[in-house]
Amino acid sequence: MSTIDAPVSEHGFDAYLAHKRNRRINNWLLVAGGVALLGWCFWDTIMFDTDWQRMGGALGIVGTIERFFFVDWSLLPKLVVPALETLMMATLGTLLGCILSLPVAWFGAANVTPSKYFFYPLGRFLMVLSRSIHEIIWALLFVGAVGLGALPGILAVAMRSIGFISKITAEAIENIDPKPVEAIRAVGGNQFQVMYYGIVPQILPVIIGTIIFEWDINIRRSAIMGLVGAGGLGLVFFRQMAMFNYGGVTLVVLAVLVLIAIGEVISHYARKAVI
Amino acid sequence: MSITATDIPTIPAPKREWSRYRHPQSTIRFAVILAILAFLGWSVAFLNIDLSRILGAFPRLAEILATRYFPPDLDYVTDADFVRSVIRTLEMSLLGGFFGVLFSIPLAWLAARNITVSRRIAYPLGRFAIMGSRSIHETIWTILFVTVLGFGMLAGTLALTVFCIGFAGKLFSDELEAIDMGPVEAMRSVGASPLQVFQYAVLPQVRVAFTGIAIYTWDVAFRAATVVGFFGGGGMGWYLKRTTQQLESTRVAAILLVIVGLVLLAEIGSGWLRRKIGNMR
Amino acid sequence: MRHETIIAEGRAERGLPANPVGAMSILEVRNLKVSYTASGPQILKGIDFAVGGDDFCAVIGPSGAGKSTLIRCINRLVEPTEGDIILFGQSVRPLGAGDLRRLRRRIGMIFQEFNLVNRMSVMDNVLSGRLGYTGAFRSFFKAFPKEDIDRALHLLERVGLSDHIDKRADALSGGQRQRVGIARALMQKPEILLLDEPTSALDPKISRDVMGLIRELAAEFKVPVLCNIHDVQLALETCNRIIGMQDGYKKFDGPSEGMRKQDLDEIYAMEVL
Repeated sequence: MSTIDAPVSEHGFDAYLAHKRNRRINNWLLVAGGVALLGWCFWDTIMFDTDWQRMGGALGIVGTIERFFFVDWSLLPKLVVPALETLMMATLGTLLGCILSLPVAWFGAANVTPSKYFFYPLGRFLMVLSRSIHEIIWALLFVGAVGLGALPGILAVAMRSIGFISKITAEAIENIDPKPVEAIRAVGGNQFQVMYYGIVPQILPVIIGTIIFEWDINIRRSAIMGLVGAGGLGLVFFRQMAMFNYGGVTLVVLAVLVLIAIGEVISHYARKAVI
Repeated sequence: MSITATDIPTIPAPKREWSRYRHPQSTIRFAVILAILAFLGWSVAFLNIDLSRILGAFPRLAEILATRYFPPDLDYVTDADFVRSVIRTLEMSLLGGFFGVLFSIPLAWLAARNITVSRRIAYPLGRFAIMGSRSIHETIWTILFVTVLGFGMLAGTLALTVFCIGFAGKLFSDELEAIDMGPVEAMRSVGASPLQVFQYAVLPQVRVAFTGIAIYTWDVAFRAATVVGFFGGGGMGWYLKRTTQQLESTRVAAILLVIVGLVLLAEIGSGWLRRKIGNMR
Repeated sequence: MRHETIIAEGRAERGLPANPVGAMSILEVRNLKVSYTASGPQILKGIDFAVGGDDFCAVIGPSGAGKSTLIRCINRLVEPTEGDIILFGQSVRPLGAGDLRRLRRRIGMIFQEFNLVNRMSVMDNVLSGRLGYTGAFRSFFKAFPKEDIDRALHLLERVGLSDHIDKRADALSGGQRQRVGIARALMQKPEILLLDEPTSALDPKISRDVMGLIRELAAEFKVPVLCNIHDVQLALETCNRIIGMQDGYKKFDGPSEGMRKQDLDEIYAMEVL
């Protein structure tokens, strides 16, 4: 609140001070309300809902945590294939997401949409829908539709990616510089040439950057798809958890971290190469 | 004086050659593209993906939604217990978002290369904390906390807190790295302590952006909060798990509708608030 | 005095055939009127002139006079509302999309802000001038024929950019970018050049160089030029014919040598007020 919106010249300094005082009181009320709300949330959820007895006190907690620290390295060879599966699921999911994003971005970009009254709102709605449903829920829906395996994971990742990729793409299309497009039109280029030489070079770096970013996130997402019936590291995590082999769980988490670090490195170089 | 083709001078042969092909770069580019295509093909083969099933998945999903999930059992979601779980979900997201933002501000301070306390120790530490929280998916955090602390909203809230630390910490540190260093140098030159520098030179520059990010973080946290219950973290996700496992599809449909509706409301609300705050700039 | 007479006199002084208008004109504009919306104000209120031969014709006038609209009407980047434009003996207004494209590829255009595709290389920007003659397959793979590449190399040499062929367009300075624009326009083997404020984004020194280069190349390739320019001094120096416009009307048309102080005052009267 950096603006001075007090009517200084009209009512003089006293009015300004009164205004300041009012604002200070308002701020305090806001803070007090916030604290009360958070306090009530805390009481209602944490204090009320937690089974303190069953947790077994501080010693019990420390005991459980301790079990995570004995990393079960013997599991390591069995993680290579699931890690590869996770990476592949993320890659194929991103690819499918990109393909599905194309029509959505086309519909949802105000300057190229085929119809302002039907397709534009449809495109915008699909963008929001894709982002508002959590990947776990998408995965549950697709496991119901196509059965267990990597495919529902890929589809879930793809559906979740559509929102972000198509939103950024649509914005890039809306923000293109019309001047090169005009130039290609003036040399006698056809519709395809205008798009391919005038528009695509302008939006390509943005789109590729977004795809790399989304791929990075999709590795995280595919790592949990196994929890609801798709394969990959998530499935190993789930099995180790079911066997109470907490050392193995830690190893899986470490494997996820390593996989994501590899993804970060690749996307770092890919982004450098593109931009 | 009209122009005919013979008047136009013919172009002499140029003094140099040009080809689109550049020796190392073009070869490398082709190799990379080929490698990516090969990896995609290998993935399809390795994961045993039937491409026709991908196309079939969407009509199949629509068919299942129409036959099994329709009509949604709306009585189930107006039940008092369910409404209570929705409120609990909202409370969890508020707590997780609040504590996440609270902890992520100092971490982001450490993890911002330009104003960090020390580049040798604090910077990698802050960076690692944020990257670690980000890299592990919120559902995995939920399961880990449930294992240690038992079922319930404590585990869910903690998982959301860690998730928000990663999410907001990244955005905060990016924002901090983009600030104008002039005021920071001015403060340092008058001998202010790091904390004073942060309070007087850094915070005023990023306050509005931070408020916007905090609201966005809550929005995203709420989205995540709807499913932490699926893994024992409390809230409405638990109902989702129960109805899914018992194949009560019409109830699942009703819960999904509620989730989509609430997330949309949260998104509209947070977008409206962020616009208002953006205008105050 | 009718403008044809003025032109004839001006041309006679320079030892040229008397009448460029009529059968010899490449471009003829008759009673051109333009308004952007049906109910909106008219930008052009009935313009007549003809361009042909070795005309290097400048359109001058205060801002808002409709200079840019006039230039853009000729290849229909702006749609005329009334009147006729006859280019290479055919009427431009009734052309369908395909015929319009075939017409546009014969017209070279150089823009105020260069209108280059910033992320493409200089070479690709120049080659894109041939797109009207390039098929879908070749344009998809950017595989232009050898003779196009040779022409591009020659033109880049002529505009002095031989050392920048593979640079990206946004890595060049303003003057260099406009030279790429000139090379792109000449790639088309144009039969007329349209220049829309080619120098207003450049500083005065570079502007003179660029205009000089365009005049030299236009003479070499024997292309008539229609040029919209706001710098009167530069127009008088470079061009051999001036069309003065004010508020959508043509106020002056004649050789640049025949331009007098009071003609200028009349054209710019509105701006003085």
